[in-house]
Amino acid sequence: MASHFSGVLQLTDLDDFITPSQECVKPVKVEKKQGKSVAKIQIEDDGSYVQVNQDGGRQKLEKAKITLNDCLACSGCITSAESVLITQQSHEELFKVLRRNKASETEHKVVVVSVSPQSRASLAAYYDLSSSETGRRLTSFFKGLGVHHVFDTSFSRTFSLLESQKEFVERFQRREQDSKALPMLTSACPGWICYAEKTHGEFILPYISTTRSPQQMMGSLVKDFFAGQQGLSPQQIYHVAVMPCFDKKLEASRSDFHMNKAETREVDCVITSGMVCTIMFFLCMYVLKMLEEENVSLNDVKPAPLDTMFSSVHGDDFLRHSGSGSGGYLHHVFINAAKQLFGEEVKELTYKTLRNKDFQEVTLEKDGVVLLCFASAYGFRNIQNLVQKLKRGKSPYHFVEVMACPSGCLNGGGQVKPLPGQNPKELLQKVDELYRADSPSVPEEDTHVAELYQSWLQSVGSERAKELLHTQYHTVEKMTNGLTMKW
Amino acid sequence: MKESLSLVQRLSAHPDSRCWFVSWSPNGTLLASCGGDKAIRIWGKEGESWVCKSVLQDGHQRTVRKVAWSPCGNYLASASFDATTCIWKKKSDEFESLTVLEGHENEVKCVAWAPSGNLLATCSRDKSVWVWEVDEEDEYECVTVVNSHTQDVKHVVWHPTQELLASASYDNNICVYKEEDDDWECRATLTGHTSTVWSLSFDATGQKLASCSDDRTVKIWRECPAESGQGDVSWKCVCTLSGYHSRTVYDVAWCHLTGALATACGDDAVRVFKEDETADPEQPVFSLAAHMAKAHSQDVNCVAWNPKEAGLLASCSDDGDIAIWRFQEED
Repeated sequence: MASHFSGVLQLTDLDDFITPSQECVKPVKVEKKQGKSVAKIQIEDDGSYVQVNQDGGRQKLEKAKITLNDCLACSGCITSAESVLITQQSHEELFKVLRRNKASETEHKVVVVSVSPQSRASLAAYYDLSSSETGRRLTSFFKGLGVHHVFDTSFSRTFSLLESQKEFVERFQRREQDSKALPMLTSACPGWICYAEKTHGEFILPYISTTRSPQQMMGSLVKDFFAGQQGLSPQQIYHVAVMPCFDKKLEASRSDFHMNKAETREVDCVITSGMVCTIMFFLCMYVLKMLEEENVSLNDVKPAPLDTMFSSVHGDDFLRHSGSGSGGYLHHVFINAAKQLFGEEVKELTYKTLRNKDFQEVTLEKDGVVLLCFASAYGFRNIQNLVQKLKRGKSPYHFVEVMACPSGCLNGGGQVKPLPGQNPKELLQKVDELYRADSPSVPEEDTHVAELYQSWLQSVGSERAKELLHTQYHTVEKMTNGLTMKW
Repeated sequence: MKESLSLVQRLSAHPDSRCWFVSWSPNGTLLASCGGDKAIRIWGKEGESWVCKSVLQDGHQRTVRKVAWSPCGNYLASASFDATTCIWKKKSDEFESLTVLEGHENEVKCVAWAPSGNLLATCSRDKSVWVWEVDEEDEYECVTVVNSHTQDVKHVVWHPTQELLASASYDNNICVYKEEDDDWECRATLTGHTSTVWSLSFDATGQKLASCSDDRTVKIWRECPAESGQGDVSWKCVCTLSGYHSRTVYDVAWCHLTGALATACGDDAVRVFKEDETADPEQPVFSLAAHMAKAHSQDVNCVAWNPKEAGLLASCSDDGDIAIWRFQEED
């Protein structure tokens, strides 16, 4: 449980940028026991509730429990209840699997950890290492715990970028017939998706790209391709993602990413960058008995060679995608669209800052005519303005990279928090620099991914590709509850 | 104590409903009222009496909780429990709905224009405070969404001269916001009230802020230099008016012409306090100058001083009425 970690590190300071704004209104079934006796309910010092019957008998009352699925289906809060996120998708689950693996041969699972490049950059800043060195040491650290493979979600993001490029060109070409083809809004941010489904439902969902996020692309790769290749069933693999964001836990829990036949999730557990830090701290202190040492950290871990199977690497170094630290969707879709639709080779994008630094615009002009108008809108306020512009029919955009966190994913709510006295803006700057220090790669030139399109999906644009690389969204009906009325 | 609050006129403003709030136009000639009947009424003077000049209907689906005039007097904003804020434009004597600001998740509790007229603040039961910016084409864009309160936000008010915003909440606190590096941040949290803070009012200079609460007190806060430096905003409570109100104090209004402080109370009374000008500004002293016990037959929701005519005070109540009072100072 999370509780014994709190107080030392920043676990309790959960920071989703679109905050849950109401009390949980999800109705919970209460197991009623037969009986007509009158009873008192006492609240104990530890906060637990005890029913005291007339005969003096005491009975501890069970707490009502809300699952992640309840959260996704309810319109009560915009995103999620933090306590649910922490209990249901915690590192404890990972440790359970690892312990079981050590204890029993029969229940053995292959454990895969997929690390996002934003998490790597955040941990690199914390331990004062380069992003690639952090990756090598994380590989070694996780393998030391009993993890079998450590992958990189930049690799699966190449699929996300290629599919987004293709989807955009298709949407652009059908824009005359389909009024909801454009603007195409990105789908990689689960906070944004949750908000869109719960608040703007049918109106906004058709605009959202069906392309899966890098996390869920990796889910497909690991539980479909990798499982098949290794001769494993999907449930024989335990897949953990390390992400800069708490809402990624909600994304992993979506029914769309549950493999019904195999009764398993494509991503079984999501842990945040900050949590990796915490795990390391406690392992060093308690398990490795390094309490006396000054450096209890990733700095003491020896680097290991990278798992190249699903990693975007060159030699022993990681590669990155150009554009924003939130995946570079705008960058890649823009360059591809300029070329595919207008035959224009764009070398460099000029970002124009609008109302604030989290709302930027990029245009492609020819002979004074705007051919493409793209934007990035980060943070709740800019999402609001974008949605309102759309509702009023005043959006000039063809494509918008939407992220719920101000400054995007590098500033995700699950990143390692600033140390006491550390300036959050300076830390973000450092994380950004570390992220960008890796050499850039071009998705179209990734031969490994191109091969997978053939060997795994038959071809680009195949039915299989549609099924495994895309997803869908669902309107959540508003619950109206008169009991919550306040003046 | 000499009775110094006399009734000028009583208006049945929102019959069979509640009158939630009244607001004087900047030139003091018009009074806007809103209520549980989802309507907004505009009152003006004809001869010696105040009459209803227009009714703004169909703008909202539920109770209209607050109304606010833009500093130029040409726009009126209304905050409603239907989760929207309407902007109305004045065209000669008529008002037309210009735009509807959506975004709050549920009941909007208050709306206020910044002194420049370019910014508008709203707050809601969804615990958030929003700042909107208006451009030349009457387009509104959200500049920020701040979540500094842990409960329903009841009231927002702008500093009279600076771009400084204050909010009051069911979480018993007051937050003060400033723009910082292209976003708005809560720069000070004023704690002291022991129950819901219902309303806030700055004095004419903006150096003092009055707050009123369900804890039956009115507190006076004064801006003071921050101890930590770095230009942080810091406010301290320099005076608490307790023992005067027997129920929740729903509203407080500081007259910018005379410095008199009026309160609206759940005990159906309207009270006016005067500051002792000889006292140390760090330890101000207020005394009750007028007490109208049965000002209304039910809870008084709001008090508002006319911005141009000194001593003219409007109040409104759950009884659906508006009362206009004249506060006469003792010689």
